[in-house]
Amino acid sequence: MSVDYSQLEEIDGTRWTWHYWPSSRLDASRCVVPFGCLFTPLRPLPNMPAALPYPPVVSRDGAVLNPYCSVDFRARMWVCPFTFQRNQLPPHYAEMPEGQVPPELVPEYTVVEYRLTDRPPAPPPAFVFVLDTTVPAAQLEVAKEYVLKALALLPPDAVVGLITFGQNVHVHEIGFVEAAKSYVLRGNKNYDAAAVQTLLGLGFAATAAASGKAVTAAAGRSLHGHASGGLGTFLQPVSECEFMLTSILESMGRDPWPVAADERPKRCTGVALAVAGALLECTYAGYGAHICLLVGGPATAGPGMIVGSKLEDELRSHTDIEKDNAPLLKKATKHYDELATRLVNAGHSVSVWGCALDQVGFYEMKACVDRTGGVFIMAESFTHPMFKRSLEKFFERDAEGGGGGGYLRRHFVATVEVDCSRELAITGMIGPCASLQRKSAAVSADTEVGIGGTSAWRICSLDPDTTLGVFFEVINPHGNPIPDGHYRYVQFRTTYQHSSGEYRLRVATCAGRWGDGNDLALLSAGFDQEASAVLMARLAVYRTENEEAFDILRWLDRLLIRLCARFGEYQRDRPETFRLGATLSLYPQFMFHLRRSNLLQVFNTSPDESAYFRSHLARVPVSDALLMVQPSLIQYTLEQPPTPVLLDVASVRPEAILLLDAFFFVVVFCGDTIAQWRKAGYHLQHEFRNLAELLQAPRRDAEHFIEHRFPYPRYIETDQHGSQARFLLAKLNPSATHTTGHVDVLSGGVAGGGNTEFLYTDDVSMEVFLEHLKRAAVAAT
Amino acid sequence: MFEWFWSILSYLGLYYKNAKILFLGLDNAGKTTLMHVLKDDRLAQHVPTQHATAEEVIVGKVRFRAFDLGGHEVARQIWRNYYTNVDAIVFMVDAVDRERFLEGKAELDRLLADEQLSDVPFLILGNKIDVPQAASEEELRTALGLHHLTTGKGDGFRGMGAGGGGGGGGKDIRPLELFMCSVVRRMGYGEGFRWLSSYL
Ligand SMILES: Nc1nc2c(ncn2[C@@H]2O[C@H](COP(=O)(O)OP(=O)(O)OP(=O)(O)O)[C@@H](O)[C@H]2O)c(=O)[nH]1
Ligand SMILES: [Mg+2]
Repeated sequence: MSVDYSQLEEIDGTRWTWHYWPSSRLDASRCVVPFGCLFTPLRPLPNMPAALPYPPVVSRDGAVLNPYCSVDFRARMWVCPFTFQRNQLPPHYAEMPEGQVPPELVPEYTVVEYRLTDRPPAPPPAFVFVLDTTVPAAQLEVAKEYVLKALALLPPDAVVGLITFGQNVHVHEIGFVEAAKSYVLRGNKNYDAAAVQTLLGLGFAATAAASGKAVTAAAGRSLHGHASGGLGTFLQPVSECEFMLTSILESMGRDPWPVAADERPKRCTGVALAVAGALLECTYAGYGAHICLLVGGPATAGPGMIVGSKLEDELRSHTDIEKDNAPLLKKATKHYDELATRLVNAGHSVSVWGCALDQVGFYEMKACVDRTGGVFIMAESFTHPMFKRSLEKFFERDAEGGGGGGYLRRHFVATVEVDCSRELAITGMIGPCASLQRKSAAVSADTEVGIGGTSAWRICSLDPDTTLGVFFEVINPHGNPIPDGHYRYVQFRTTYQHSSGEYRLRVATCAGRWGDGNDLALLSAGFDQEASAVLMARLAVYRTENEEAFDILRWLDRLLIRLCARFGEYQRDRPETFRLGATLSLYPQFMFHLRRSNLLQVFNTSPDESAYFRSHLARVPVSDALLMVQPSLIQYTLEQPPTPVLLDVASVRPEAILLLDAFFFVVVFCGDTIAQWRKAGYHLQHEFRNLAELLQAPRRDAEHFIEHRFPYPRYIETDQHGSQARFLLAKLNPSATHTTGHVDVLSGGVAGGGNTEFLYTDDVSMEVFLEHLKRAAVAAT
Repeated sequence: MFEWFWSILSYLGLYYKNAKILFLGLDNAGKTTLMHVLKDDRLAQHVPTQHATAEEVIVGKVRFRAFDLGGHEVARQIWRNYYTNVDAIVFMVDAVDRERFLEGKAELDRLLADEQLSDVPFLILGNKIDVPQAASEEELRTALGLHHLTTGKGDGFRGMGAGGGGGGGGKDIRPLELFMCSVVRRMGYGEGFRWLSSYL
């Protein structure tokens, strides 16, 4: 009876934690896992009709006409399902031939997209590349090469700009000028839009920076009219500046400032980012623009520096942060937080491509990425495929739109508005967005989850995978039954600037059922454990901002126990009688792995790494997030076709190859026996062709996973007992350890006679975890 | 003997605070495993270290600020970024993985030749001796070419030494010694750290 909820996701881009909601606030509060969904605003939906060429019909309260509305064509009226207010239909709806309905009212089309052709199209999106020139020469060459590659991948009308930085910031003129020229801004000062405007001699009235509207108009005009102003000097369509940019980059060397042996290069990353932000704020406010920061080391100078330039100054660690022993942290974070606010107001986003062996400052910069719909890429160098292939993927274009390879998959300046039936209220969102601070009647009066207190959020840039965690609560009072046949409705309205420049509105209207809060079988039947695990993971990760890891784990445990106590079947105080229904049976396992994952655990993890993992969790759809929480494991043997196996050390066998997909990395792990055969070269002999095939199959499948993945994952091939095998081992449930069963390690037995793998760990196994859970659940009051 | 010695030291408040030490060595040697045991007294399985991490750990009566650096080949490039003000190096070797002794020796030699570290004490830990096939102390000493480099397992305060290789060595000689250990059996490294502490 298990429902494949990913099928539902194909219909409207949502995955709901619960499908039946108790109709009273009190009963709802006993369900433990919050009511909400993971919503992918621009997910390609096979059943969505082609974008509608006419404007949407909107109610007085902002709701958009949809298949769940009752409509009276004769009377030219429709009733809003949220407020039950009657609204007028435009005249031509009354003239609709008998039996014909407009697409937005067809029952199957719960998601439709409108082309907002009444708004003049936006200028083509702008991309400002901000390049660190303090990296070693060989690294810089590759970074430059990939900036040029990005230009080649962009549509020719996309607008680009170039800023380079080391000790100072250089803003490069890329208009038609005879000689390369750049404006130098000092790396130890903070610049706001007005200052940058003056320094760069941008051609607009100085007052423009103060009023968003004026700037917007100016940007539109000068782009289309090709004015000679600042815009043309520093920002140009690819087609017109590619030659100039190529020659600037080709002749550019490393930052000339000498670096003493006991110092790090002076790198004013925070200032360079602020200048890029200010440049776009003056020229592109309100229009889609994106900053690509390519950085090869920590910010060591100026506002936003995370460590001093002397090597004796140490990069902050998690322990330093916990103990308040990171002197630059607060100031740097404040710098980037303020910059993030400016970026959000201007509608601009940032991606940070950190290519270094050590931290570069993701932890401090995270607001600039996470609040703007940007993305973090972490690679050990610019020559690593994790940088190169991710960049290629980032600038990918879709099949839509004619001529020159389609439109960018990334779109801009989206506003997501949420509306809902009055029996529920919106409590907040967790995702790559920022609040637009619009408090509609649908917003919860007293509860805030994640970014709350609003019914509208800004996502400065998004792609078809960008996924939001949306939270609701039931506010219908206990003694107020909801009539039979009544549904609850939620409407998501996403207005965005398509990469073609056209404005679009996507409207997704979701209907759901109410249920009796005491009918636990019914509520359980509608429980989507995958969506629930992922939404809980987002919540837990969001809490890491302000809470100690230990407290978060305790909180997760408490909620899990309460959920099991409520929805499990058992006799009081008899753990052996405890059962969970099919729809909940995997949930405790997800929580077990979530607790262990480096989304929450920080030992052996730098603050930058944590920021990186967490940022992606809050961005990706359910299926990808699940891999982060609990990686998938597939076994390949000579005897059997590939089969999924438990993420457990017991799955490690000498005669099997395992393929692990942990989202950020993919491991092909060769069991001992097979590794020996391979080392002996058997697979090269004709009669052992099946071995050759066995070795190839997991690689092929790994390639397939990797091909669709962004960011490009680390790919590891390793043998059992090899050093890199730890990528796999660390993820496995330690059902066999040095203290359990068959292996007498302490007296020196060899790896269980060579046949059974075990782990050196004091971590509890899932079995022990579940035992404790059962005991706590049946005892809970 | 040691117990007495240490309690006297701590009574006198002589223990060194916040000595900066680096955990270096090839990947898979057991650096992170050791770090975790020292910090939380817990064994766990870790992924290969990517970014360097720092922890405060207390061994015996000494508080260390320990840096755990990734050991894979590429990560070794950043080791030297951590050399300034370092008080000691803990160099770990997987005593079971004979195929990599040479690679380990090469890295160790490079460290020993580094001018910045010329007077820094080196504690070399031969790890995983719980495994029967592990190299003996003598074998590892030979493989790493340590015979003429080790300075003896005495505690450095000449005259107070608890036996061993004859204590300390001259003022210009860098203290360096090999101790065999098993992190998973929580044995061996304690003596090593005690030895090291006497040079801080
Ligand atoms: N048998 C045995 N195995 C050990 C011992 N100490 C560590 N290990 C194992 O050896 C591996 C070492 O892993 P880590 O501690 O992550 O190694 P590392 O030195 O930090 O490696 P990098 O981070 O890649 O530089 C793990 O699988 C441990 O379980 C030990 O004393 N005995
Ligand atoms: Mg490590």
